[in-house]
Amino acid sequence: MFVTDIRKDFYEVVANQRVALLVAADIDALCACKILQALFHCDHIQYTLVPVIGWQDLSTAFLEHKEQIKLLIKQDDDLGVPSYDDIFRDDEEEDDGSGNDSDEGSEPSGKRRRFDEVRSISRRCRKDFLRREILFDYEQFEFHGTSAAMMFFELAWVLTKDTKDMLWWAIIGLTDQQIHDKITHMKYVTDVATMQRHVSRHNHRNEDEENSLSIDCMRISFEYDLRLSLYQHWSLYESICNSCYTSSSFKLWTLNGQKKLREFLADMGLPLKQVKQKYTSMDMSIKENLRDVIEESSNKFGMKEIRIQTFGVHFGFQNRFLASDMVHATAALLESTEKEESDIAHNFIKALDSLSRGNLDRLHVGIDHAKRKLLAIQQTVASCICTNLILSQGPFLYCYLMEGTPDVKLFSKPLALTLLCKYLLKAFVHSTRNKRCKLLPLIMAAPKDVEKGTVIVAGIPPESETSDKKNFFGRAFEKAAESTSSRTLHDHFDTSIIELKTEDRSKFLDALITLLS
Amino acid sequence: MDPSEVEFLAEKELVKIIPNFSLDKIFLIGGDLGPFNPGLSVDVPLWLALNLKQRQKCRILPPDWMDVEKLEEMRALERKEDAFTPVPSLYYMEITKLLLNHASDNIPKADEIRTLVKDIWDTRIAKLRLSADSFINQQEAHAQLDNLTLMEINTTREFLLDSLNFMFKLRSNLQPGSSKGQLTDY
Repeated sequence: MFVTDIRKDFYEVVANQRVALLVAADIDALCACKILQALFHCDHIQYTLVPVIGWQDLSTAFLEHKEQIKLLIKQDDDLGVPSYDDIFRDDEEEDDGSGNDSDEGSEPSGKRRRFDEVRSISRRCRKDFLRREILFDYEQFEFHGTSAAMMFFELAWVLTKDTKDMLWWAIIGLTDQQIHDKITHMKYVTDVATMQRHVSRHNHRNEDEENSLSIDCMRISFEYDLRLSLYQHWSLYESICNSCYTSSSFKLWTLNGQKKLREFLADMGLPLKQVKQKYTSMDMSIKENLRDVIEESSNKFGMKEIRIQTFGVHFGFQNRFLASDMVHATAALLESTEKEESDIAHNFIKALDSLSRGNLDRLHVGIDHAKRKLLAIQQTVASCICTNLILSQGPFLYCYLMEGTPDVKLFSKPLALTLLCKYLLKAFVHSTRNKRCKLLPLIMAAPKDVEKGTVIVAGIPPESETSDKKNFFGRAFEKAAESTSSRTLHDHFDTSIIELKTEDRSKFLDALITLLS
Repeated sequence: MDPSEVEFLAEKELVKIIPNFSLDKIFLIGGDLGPFNPGLSVDVPLWLALNLKQRQKCRILPPDWMDVEKLEEMRALERKEDAFTPVPSLYYMEITKLLLNHASDNIPKADEIRTLVKDIWDTRIAKLRLSADSFINQQEAHAQLDNLTLMEINTTREFLLDSLNFMFKLRSNLQPGSSKGQLTDY
């Protein structure tokens, strides 16, 4: 259901009803869920929270609850819905040529021209043809729209019930989209500007010279901070080694790369001993100008975008977090593969809790998990590149993680696997000399369930400066599976991630190669 | 008495709020409240103020006595005097705690106020301990303390009464005529 006015059509409708909230297993969805929960608490709206990880879960949950409730709200990141607010008209009477002007810019004019040309064919026939065309184009590419958390924050703002907590969750939802590479850089920057307006509005509300705010209150600030993951909760050295941007620019899996890193640190005048210490214990004199010093030196070493616009939060004397830290921590908790915690609902609730300000110990546990995850990703990337596990299969690059690879259990989860794909592709692009290979997309397969014999397969678009993050692997996987009748499960909301039986792997791959070449 | 019971009683105190909704006069057992109009201040009991604040329906105004200069004066006076000085409010400790926990963004200089109120509390409890100590040492029969609040009394009540009881039992065993120097079993 598409809504134009989120307040009238959505909130006021549910205000007096009992609501079922089906939430996807994704940080943006989690943040949106938190915002909605806070709004429901304010207005005493009863709700049931159901975590879903795929279409099957969604349908079972729907069937379970459908006798009790009348209205259903599902939220996850807006997959492939170009503009959330446009109404897609599908009636017989209406022209469906108008319905898709929300689509990519060049499409509408092309369709309207064709619409004129085929006017002579009978009405119903023409409509079907057009509708199929439009739907094919609509479903061919998958990409993400505005963050769901931001949408719900706008709702809260319209209801004047927005708080700093909700603003922070909206920011985390936006940062999640950026870290997992779901939106373009331009969109990210535009959204950051929107959020920055809200942040300044909140900051000017209470703060002035005589009436300073209690130290325990939450302060959100705009930061032009370094692109080093978790650097304030780790040592600077570890963070540089394990962040995608720096490790692929330096090529830290080679000896040469390690040397360059040492040169980089020497260039900035940072002693190795200091840099390997925990960030909070580093000398104050080093920490003062750290960002500017790093930016200067990175420019010399060819890393022009070491800094990125983001937000940080500050409450109490000790607690400072950047939005990206929270995303990594919560994602690690959500997909935790520890023995005691492998229950989906359990992990979901833990991750949801870690977003609240009162559960800092959970957040710190999440940060530890995230550090291990980043280390594992780095080591896997290094080993894949050094042992040449990435094969060029013609229209795409392919990599398969063997079962014995260390930490391979971590990569049986979709978010972790996509992060690994992204890092691997970036590292590969930096390390290969083959010009053609640099423009290829990457498909990665990792064992998912040893007893059932399935692998999880993920595909990401090629690495490019101006990429619009459109992913065509969803349809490609479906078609390849159909043509080879492989046993696949297209359950995940993100259609570019599927489960496949291990035995069908090779014929599936061959089908993909023929399909995409 | 449990401290949470004292807090419950403290929540009946009236505070000023500025609601952002409108509601006609409501008639509760404890009294009438309202009418509520957005932007106009109204007096409500503390329990209602906190509930509305948590649902983001109002803004709480700090009570008149919750001001840095006034509290500093009170603290200085308390430290100077040997006896207990009059308190800003009968439930000053509970109100401060509740307001600073739930509505610290509506209270200017919340950290300093927290420190000042804690200082006043500490001074008064120290005086209470001293006076209880001298009461027992000099074996007085009765004492009178003015300007104590319920929370302070509640802090010492159990300990003071139990220790007085125990001392009575010990003393009565020292009297001649009791069973040959044997302590009665407690």
